[in-house]
Amino acid sequence: MKLPDPSDTIAAQATPPGAGAIAVIRLTGPAAFAAAAAFLSPPAGKPAHRRAYVLAVKDGSRLIDRVVAVFFKGPASYTGQDTVEISCHGSPYIIRTILNLAVKNGARIAGPGEFTLRAFLNGKLDLAQAEGVGELIASSSAGAHRAALTQAEGELSARVQKTRTALVGLLSEIEARLDDSYEEIPALHRRAFDRSAAAAHEQVLSLAAGFEAGRGIREGLNVVIAGAPNSGKSSLLNALLGYDRALVSREAGTTRDMLEASLEIDGFTVRFSDTAGLNAGRASRLELAGMARARKALAAAELVLLVKDASIRASASDLRAEKEVSDAAGKATVLRVFNKTDLPARRSCAGGLLVSCRSGRGLGRLRAALVARQKKTFSDGAQAVVTSARHFEALTGAGRELAALRALLRAKNPPLELAAERLRLALGELALILGETAPEEVLAGIFGSFCVGK
Amino acid sequence: MTAFNHPDHFDVAVIGGGHAGCEAALAAARLGARTLLLTQDLDTVAQMSCNPSIGGVGKGQLVREIDALGGAMARTADHSMLCGHMLNTSKGAAVRSGRAQCDKKMYQFAMKATLEVQPGLLLVQDEAAEILTKSGRACGVRTTRNTVYRAKTVVITAGTFLRGIIHIGLDSFPGGRYNHPPSGQLSANLKELGFKLGRMKTGTPMRLNARGIDFDKCERQAPDSPPEPFSHFTTAIKNPQLPCWITRTNARTAAIINRSLHRSPLYSGKIKSTGPRYCPSIEDKVVKFPHHGEHHLFLEPEGFDTAEYYVNGLSTSLPEETQIEIVRSVPGLERAEIMRAGYAIEYDYSDPGQLDYTLETRVVPGLFTAGQVNGTTGYEEAAAQGLVAGINAARLALGGQPLVLRRDEAYIGVMIDDLVSKGVDEPYRIFTSRAEYRLLLRQDNADLRLAPRGFALGLLPPSLKDNFEAYRLAVQTLKDGGKPHKVQGGPWTLEKARAEAAIEKTYGIYVERNRREAEKMKRIDMLRIPADFSYAAIKALPNEARHKLEKNRPLTLAQAGRIPGVTPADVQLLWILLEKRRGGKK
Repeated sequence: MKLPDPSDTIAAQATPPGAGAIAVIRLTGPAAFAAAAAFLSPPAGKPAHRRAYVLAVKDGSRLIDRVVAVFFKGPASYTGQDTVEISCHGSPYIIRTILNLAVKNGARIAGPGEFTLRAFLNGKLDLAQAEGVGELIASSSAGAHRAALTQAEGELSARVQKTRTALVGLLSEIEARLDDSYEEIPALHRRAFDRSAAAAHEQVLSLAAGFEAGRGIREGLNVVIAGAPNSGKSSLLNALLGYDRALVSREAGTTRDMLEASLEIDGFTVRFSDTAGLNAGRASRLELAGMARARKALAAAELVLLVKDASIRASASDLRAEKEVSDAAGKATVLRVFNKTDLPARRSCAGGLLVSCRSGRGLGRLRAALVARQKKTFSDGAQAVVTSARHFEALTGAGRELAALRALLRAKNPPLELAAERLRLALGELALILGETAPEEVLAGIFGSFCVGK
Repeated sequence: MTAFNHPDHFDVAVIGGGHAGCEAALAAARLGARTLLLTQDLDTVAQMSCNPSIGGVGKGQLVREIDALGGAMARTADHSMLCGHMLNTSKGAAVRSGRAQCDKKMYQFAMKATLEVQPGLLLVQDEAAEILTKSGRACGVRTTRNTVYRAKTVVITAGTFLRGIIHIGLDSFPGGRYNHPPSGQLSANLKELGFKLGRMKTGTPMRLNARGIDFDKCERQAPDSPPEPFSHFTTAIKNPQLPCWITRTNARTAAIINRSLHRSPLYSGKIKSTGPRYCPSIEDKVVKFPHHGEHHLFLEPEGFDTAEYYVNGLSTSLPEETQIEIVRSVPGLERAEIMRAGYAIEYDYSDPGQLDYTLETRVVPGLFTAGQVNGTTGYEEAAAQGLVAGINAARLALGGQPLVLRRDEAYIGVMIDDLVSKGVDEPYRIFTSRAEYRLLLRQDNADLRLAPRGFALGLLPPSLKDNFEAYRLAVQTLKDGGKPHKVQGGPWTLEKARAEAAIEKTYGIYVERNRREAEKMKRIDMLRIPADFSYAAIKALPNEARHKLEKNRPLTLAQAGRIPGVTPADVQLLWILLEKRRGGKK
């Protein structure tokens, strides 16, 4: 079992999850400086204690972000061990990439409360302070537990379970031969074994690849509110949020920059981007810049709420907005929302959802539509989605071991005890998702398929 | 009979003279404890009731470990070896194991002689009936002859004797081994003392007279030439080596078995207890693997001075007349004569979940159990436990740190941890696949792993310590690519060091990785969970984990982590609470 071991180097986001302007990522442990130095440039050499450095985060040669990094030499740190605090921009992409870089360079993702555990073990917290730690762990694992109940996680477990069963089968095949005192069992069927090993390896790799695809589920449905100027996009955002996030006025073009806000609906996170009105007609430079941002947001959207003013006749500006959305929005579904239905309708609202931001009419239906869309994403997931960095780490690790296994199998006389070792290490990685593989399972596999013993 | 109190006071009283009992008594006496060994029958000390064979995959490693800790099994096996093999030579060093047929009587006599000359060890032929306690602690033994032996600690190594019942066909009768009465009173006494007992089953095949075997129809299995000794202290095997023979069952054998199943105590439902899956009876093999047309049989001599052959692979509890039919359906055995019928035996075992790592029971302090009575099977498993129990009983009586081996140090550690933390639901046999640090736990480095402990305990001769240390240094130097100094004055040689360094090098990164993992585990391995630790009060623990922990009551944090259903987050939570408790007590 991968138990919390204070001599590992661990990494985690220290700021609460979700998009904020700034996020803080912390690395702690004996190799924290080395791990951070591997992706921060220019290398800080021997960084001074508690001094802030402005450095670039690079993934290979690709610039990810410019960050502020502070190095705390243990024991004068929160955990008592060498610690690096990286303040980066709060984009989930940047946060995830930095965590992945940390993992790639020898850290592992921290378990719930693990930083605090270290602080406690190293005498950095007194008993009274430590009282809270148990609760902290309990609440985060309860959160993780809830997450485990979501469909997507269930789907992932089922997939990983399948791979795990295959690996246990392969391990039983080998162990049966290693533990066969009388050498009665026929030699391993090499070709079939190699095929199964390759299949398991591919499964693990494809699951790991699902990490990118699956991030939306963790980070929430990306909804872009778009439409012609003054159709009431910002009003809709405020109405959905239940508070005034956006400044609204009767004047068209009030929103020039993009506004972001997220909302939990029935346990699903929905991230809204309220964009500037799409009207290529007569626009100032500022409006043009706002629209460029809107197009960029549309390209990344999973769902577009195309807002139309039901109280006015369809106009050229509406048509342009339609065209802009269909041009810019990639794979996103477009949902037409007719606003201002408290006023007399001046156009056909067929195929759309009728709402009034003023009276609140139709907002319940819109929320339901958002949830339905999110649920669809979960069940549609033809491929299981890996949603947590920890699962990604486990799958990547298992992939590494299986690649090594396959390399071993290329030998004419593959060393079976080493092949078994790789399989066990791979199973050990998957244990992070599914729990331990007990030796009894492997033995059951042996006795189920082979007639061994005197 | 009137009671009489034996005039001697003992530090350690060992009940049972099997493989566990012999090692326990020898180790205790060698540590300076005044030791008693009680056995029903001095003529069957160290009897190999089933196959007269020592070693096998995993088991061979245990034998080497016992030897490195000063036990007697390896040397006794070397002395009586009649057909030695190194198994898995086509595979890597980590899974190589010695296995040898031994002369059954020679083994027994050699072990008995070792016991007889051991200073501080009293051998008595009598049967234990009751463990005496004083304020809940073991303080002696009362025998069926009503003699009272006072002892500070007691080690029970009763094997299959607790309420043993022997089955041949649908006939059954009490017995701890064929022709030996079971131990009924001791079992009842353990129950009274509060022990949780269970029931298990095992079996043994028939023995044949060589004159009825047509060896020309069998395949010859030659012994290794020369065979490798088990013991680090044996320079060479002196006995001549005999071959074993291989033949096979066939469709006719299967047919005989299938039509006789209603007369099998296993298949008629008469035996309900669990037998070992890895040591199945021939009826099990035929029923569970109907598509296997044939099953291997190994004909193994029981000794130099006897014509008896053990039919390895034909363990059965079918009626005697069916056994004759079965044997005679096999090529080479058409005219075979059965001298002893095969049989099954059911017996009580004590749930090993009641043990501490020292093999002291948690039910009655001062009372230890070792061997088959703990739900294991195999002479090697028994001997290893006996050794640990004997050492720890002596240490408890005389003062001193107990011997506890970790999972990364020895198969003995793996076995005891498995027993203590998971209990058993079938007779427990060691397998190399049970060891997560298998690449570290090799038969070739048993001395490097454990001899330092053996010397420190005083169970290895001090005169050899320099020789061993020179060897250890040479292996390290060679591994690092340096030029080693001389290694002399004992069984450890430079040549051996070269071979050992070469093996270490082949496993290079794997061994390093195993070591690192083990090193990490060590820290939490040492965190003991107090016996009165209350899981019910920890609201933050998920229900599943809480139930599992309450049921298993792990001894250490690492053990808690190995319980299926307990997550790393749970372990972390426990850790904090344990540290808090310790902090609170300071």
